[in-house]
Amino acid sequence: MFEQIFDAALFDSATRAMIPILLAALGGMICERAGVFQIALEGMMLAGAFAAVAGSYLAISWTLGVVFGIAAGMLISLALAYGTVTRRGDSIVLGIALNLLAMGLTGFLLPQLFDVRGVFQHPRIDGLDRIAIPVLSDIPWIGPVLFDNTLLTYVALLLVPILWVFLFRTPVGLRLRGVGERPLAAETLGVSPTVYKYGAVLASGALAGLAGAQLSLGNVVQFAENMSSGRGWVAVVAVMLGRAHPVGVLAAAALFALAEALGFRFQGNGLPVQITDALPFVVTLLALIIARKRFARLLDLTTAA
Amino acid sequence: MLRRFPDFLGDMSRRALVSPVTFSLFFAFALAGAIVAVTGGDPLAAGEEMVTGAVTGSGLRNTLGRAVPIVGMALAVSIAFRSGIINLGGEGQMVIGGLAGTMVAIYVPGPGYLIVPLAMLAGAVVGAVWGLLPAYGQTWLRLPILITSLLLNYVARAVTGYLVRFHLLDDAVTLTSTRQVPEAARMPKMPVFGGVSLSLILVMVLVALLWMVYTRSVAGYESQMTGFNMRSARYGGIDVEQRTVQVMVVAGAIGGLIGTHLIIGEALRFIDGELVLAGFAWTGLLVSLLAVNRPIPIFITGLFFSGLQIGGLAMQRNAGVSWRLSQVLQAVVIVAVACRLSVWRSERRRAEPSEADAAGVGEV
Repeated sequence: MFEQIFDAALFDSATRAMIPILLAALGGMICERAGVFQIALEGMMLAGAFAAVAGSYLAISWTLGVVFGIAAGMLISLALAYGTVTRRGDSIVLGIALNLLAMGLTGFLLPQLFDVRGVFQHPRIDGLDRIAIPVLSDIPWIGPVLFDNTLLTYVALLLVPILWVFLFRTPVGLRLRGVGERPLAAETLGVSPTVYKYGAVLASGALAGLAGAQLSLGNVVQFAENMSSGRGWVAVVAVMLGRAHPVGVLAAAALFALAEALGFRFQGNGLPVQITDALPFVVTLLALIIARKRFARLLDLTTAA
Repeated sequence: MLRRFPDFLGDMSRRALVSPVTFSLFFAFALAGAIVAVTGGDPLAAGEEMVTGAVTGSGLRNTLGRAVPIVGMALAVSIAFRSGIINLGGEGQMVIGGLAGTMVAIYVPGPGYLIVPLAMLAGAVVGAVWGLLPAYGQTWLRLPILITSLLLNYVARAVTGYLVRFHLLDDAVTLTSTRQVPEAARMPKMPVFGGVSLSLILVMVLVALLWMVYTRSVAGYESQMTGFNMRSARYGGIDVEQRTVQVMVVAGAIGGLIGTHLIIGEALRFIDGELVLAGFAWTGLLVSLLAVNRPIPIFITGLFFSGLQIGGLAMQRNAGVSWRLSQVLQAVVIVAVACRLSVWRSERRRAEPSEADAAGVGEV
């Protein structure tokens, strides 16, 4: 029974489920470090998924699709940065409204531009190629799971150590954290919180856009309405659970992805889809309960505010 | 700080022109027009269809009908927002309460004047219980309601989907749906504008009730104070934990009422996934934000947003522009309001400037 469930195919599908969550969560992590509460990940991911499909369809090339995805995510994040940093608006209100904006806009543009309802599939949409890394992909078991994947998978996995070095070993990363933890002190030392917060939010937009591209051009090759289906929110939780640390975020994303993959697997074994769909969210809630001591700051932010 | 109704109309006319809301509405309509033009539509024709579709012919009836869930869900979320509780779980509370109410309407025999209230009550109770989960999550386990209530939406969808698919399925139709609500257990329609659901009265009563609670009662004052600043409210002797639980119960109950209404008053069948499609909980949330969580402005804004959606559907039929444009419009209005200045925040700033800044919640 155990070996029937935990085989290489399961970890393969877990990797696929993990990458969008990881990319978005890394973006959320950068914002968290810069002191911006980022809950627009869901919307930016959805916009990225739509734009990636649109770009890929127009140019018949996934490269342009990915560029479009990044641009769409960044466009929404720009509105968030302007609203929260420049206009000092409420980041929670803006985040919720931008999520709904992305939902409405993609739902509007889908029939308007492509004349379809619900799902857009077309042979012109060029999916992300799987790039097998020579030698590494030949390692039995691990090779096909990790080293025979889309470019965005490698980008996401490499970003974990890169962002760790960036945050904790570079002056820019130090200033970014300073802006988040002690904005007044940072400003006194000549570090502009505005610049760093804008940078962080735009970076999260780019990463969430990439997450969307992986979703609509990597995991499948199509756009479906609301296809982000809560993954952006799971990413928000991953930032919390991972304490805004790259390795922690990776672990949290892996946990949720494993739950999603297990759900698919159980579905294959006859469990109703309605139950398996809920699995990642139930696991997320359970993980929150187990690790509950960590959210004092968010709780202050969302209640005392 | 507590705005009273008689001031409201004078307030409106005095500040209408300089209000960020006016600017935001202009901005949203201009942007929506531009989007229509860019995607190959005729913005003026679309706008005309939208306006005429919302108020002429059966439009007025439909606008009033759709205002029921929008205003209802807005009231539910406003209760929480006023107390500083960010309840994003309206959708789940509506769906799960709606199924409970539907089950009563379908399976409990009896005369309509008993079954309809009983179904509404069942919906309210189950919605309230679903609202209690994140409430206790916050007061016992210190999990932020913002996150837990939202995640529970997906769980509610799964639970109701499972129940409908495996226990309540109507084999006679190809839909994943319950049986039809029997004639006797349906929410009656009033003979105005060609049949508006009786639930409209219920929603209007709720508006009046909440207005009274907010302006005339200790509970309303306390919940408002909690919303302004939880710490000082606690210091002032308000039991914040108990208040949180109460607020979530009421919000969840209203959600369950609306969910039940949507089935026994409108759809007549609980079809898996249908209840979340129209996004009433989220439209309601935007309405509440725009109306700064005040009951009477919520009613007016809710009617307006309902008109936008009904007009949007007419626009889709007659001008070939997707009704989703209405959703875009609604969201842009809120984004613009929040960017121009957040009324919500700025009132709070004035209320507790030093405390808010010291806690670092001012602009995190």
